[in-house]
Amino acid sequence: MNSRTQITRRRFAAVGIAGALLLPGMFAFADAISSATISNEGGMVNGTRFKKKGPYRIGFSNGFSGNTWRTEMLASLNAEVKRHSDIKDLIIVDGQGDITKQVNDIDNLAAQDVDAILCIANSGTAVVPALSRANQEGIITAPFNLPVAGTEWTTFVGTDPTKKGRALGKWLRDALGGKGKILGLGGIPGNSYTAAAWAGAKVALEGSGIEVLAFRDAMWQEDKAKVITADLIAAYPEIDGVWADGGQDAAGAVLALLAGNRPLCPVTGDDFNGLIKLYTKYHTSQPKFDIGLMSDPTWESVVALRATLTLLRGGNVAKRMIITPRLITSANYMSYIKPNLPDGVFVDTDLSDAELEKLFG
Amino acid sequence: MAEKFHGLTLILRSGAVWPAAILLYLMAGLISPAMFELRQVVDILQVSAFLGLVALGQTMVLLVGGVDLSVAGVVTLVNILSTDLMDGKISAIPVGVALPLLIAVIVGLSNGVLVVWAGITPLIATLGMNAILYGGALIYTGGAPHGAAAPGFTALGQGSLIGVPASAVCWITVAATMWMLTRRTAYGRRLYAVGANPVAAHMMGVPVGYVLVSAYTLGSLLAGMGGLLVTAYIGQPSLGIGDQFLLTSVAAAVVGGTALTGGIGGVAGTVGGTLLITELNSFTDIVHVSVGAQYVMQGAIIALGTIVYQLAGRARLANSA
Repeated sequence: MNSRTQITRRRFAAVGIAGALLLPGMFAFADAISSATISNEGGMVNGTRFKKKGPYRIGFSNGFSGNTWRTEMLASLNAEVKRHSDIKDLIIVDGQGDITKQVNDIDNLAAQDVDAILCIANSGTAVVPALSRANQEGIITAPFNLPVAGTEWTTFVGTDPTKKGRALGKWLRDALGGKGKILGLGGIPGNSYTAAAWAGAKVALEGSGIEVLAFRDAMWQEDKAKVITADLIAAYPEIDGVWADGGQDAAGAVLALLAGNRPLCPVTGDDFNGLIKLYTKYHTSQPKFDIGLMSDPTWESVVALRATLTLLRGGNVAKRMIITPRLITSANYMSYIKPNLPDGVFVDTDLSDAELEKLFG
Repeated sequence: MAEKFHGLTLILRSGAVWPAAILLYLMAGLISPAMFELRQVVDILQVSAFLGLVALGQTMVLLVGGVDLSVAGVVTLVNILSTDLMDGKISAIPVGVALPLLIAVIVGLSNGVLVVWAGITPLIATLGMNAILYGGALIYTGGAPHGAAAPGFTALGQGSLIGVPASAVCWITVAATMWMLTRRTAYGRRLYAVGANPVAAHMMGVPVGYVLVSAYTLGSLLAGMGGLLVTAYIGQPSLGIGDQFLLTSVAAAVVGGTALTGGIGGVAGTVGGTLLITELNSFTDIVHVSVGAQYVMQGAIIALGTIVYQLAGRARLANSA
């Protein structure tokens, strides 16, 4: 099967742009991203070793491209590069979903003497030796979005899927008053993100009166999720909630419930615009319909780029910068929805509506 | 005796999938009674139609001894183009249907030309075409697909006619047409002749090249129709939507008795194979097994089906020797 789709994902998007919570040990970036809370873990990385004068050449090894999350992430990165006059080049290479190609891509970037390599890994383990080699040559290596093993890279930016899964599980547990029958829907079979998120969810559901009817991989695709949920609807007369780690899965489940004339129920997911649109359309006629959504920011690329610039200028950054997701619910969805933009948009973005219009136009 | 055995293996090859599909359905129903519910039957029929059309297209190509791995790209491109062109407007349905299908035809023609006149192996030619189509969809959308199926059009994928899903009606109508075409016309006999032995077919005066190109074109057109149905089902563009059909379309045809070597099998078997695979997916969705066990079950049943046909094929060879 096509490796591209095996990883078609990571439309983590994000989290709010609401009031900033600056707690001790945390800091926030000053601008559009400023309202996010980013906690520093794993100690600090000293930039003295990497300090050099600009202009800088930055490489980015993107594991693959083609879904809307990646498209928005790239647009944010390109926009950020333009804001820094001391960046001479941004060299983007695409792994096309291929683990081996990405390792080669990273080695090639290192051979081109870039000053820093950003990376979203196709495999959290396979890229480690290549990142480590580059790191030893004095090149900053900054994996982001998807976790990589070990510590032989410079700094990491991302969210914590286990915590997110647990928070979504807790939201669903509360929304159902601690009892009911739920479906679990994940992404591509065997992916580590779903595994971690679902493990977190199970912790949150433990000890409650919530019964998991079934957990299925819905590929983070609406059509797949709709087919699977339609099957499960036939098997289970009562479905009180849906835990999903992606908005497309949740949207597919909602469409199947609608097609099956079943009442809509609380669902979890991420900030997939299509799901928020469905909520807007049906929540008044379907009183039990509720949403609890969390996601990874498409602007993780911007945070990762800024971290590398801080190091190149001799500053310090955290070994792991973990972005704390905020919840999108019935209380605040109106500030996230993009009614005039396609369903595929991930709404927690630092791109303006005009930039998104241009991108999706 | 030999004649009788020969007949038995032929029956087994062309019809074994139907008892298998019924048996699987009964077994699945006994384990999970939900399978017997009317709405589950309706759901299975509705969902079978997408794979059904793509697998019919694949069958055309397999019958002439080829294989079409560009079906995934065709479905994705059709989905992207039709939603973009329709953009939710009923008035745009004709262009949103016609243009994607025209492109599917052009893709099929190109596949045929690459295989017949450029002499590229079908596997390579169509896999390359698949990459081109996916790349084309990426360039067209810039990775940011937009648009939506028009309201009336979605009825094709979501609506029903007297309780029968509209998508299934489309599928069965097309399947019946393809059955007539392959079994009741001179063209159909040529398809089988080319698949069984292109040299002999050429000596009999069959225009082998044209027949091959037509099979690829028809295959791609049917894949495009499958892409339209799945678009009507979900109503949205999705860049990875076609990938699920890449190998399942081959599996549905092969489980239905169509040989990868060409010239054997046909439309009726593929319809049965499609039902079998969709039933299997549906059953493994419902039954209480782990995700890993789901895959093992699906793979084992498909492998078992193929082994049965191989044994039947060998028996026939031994018999005719």
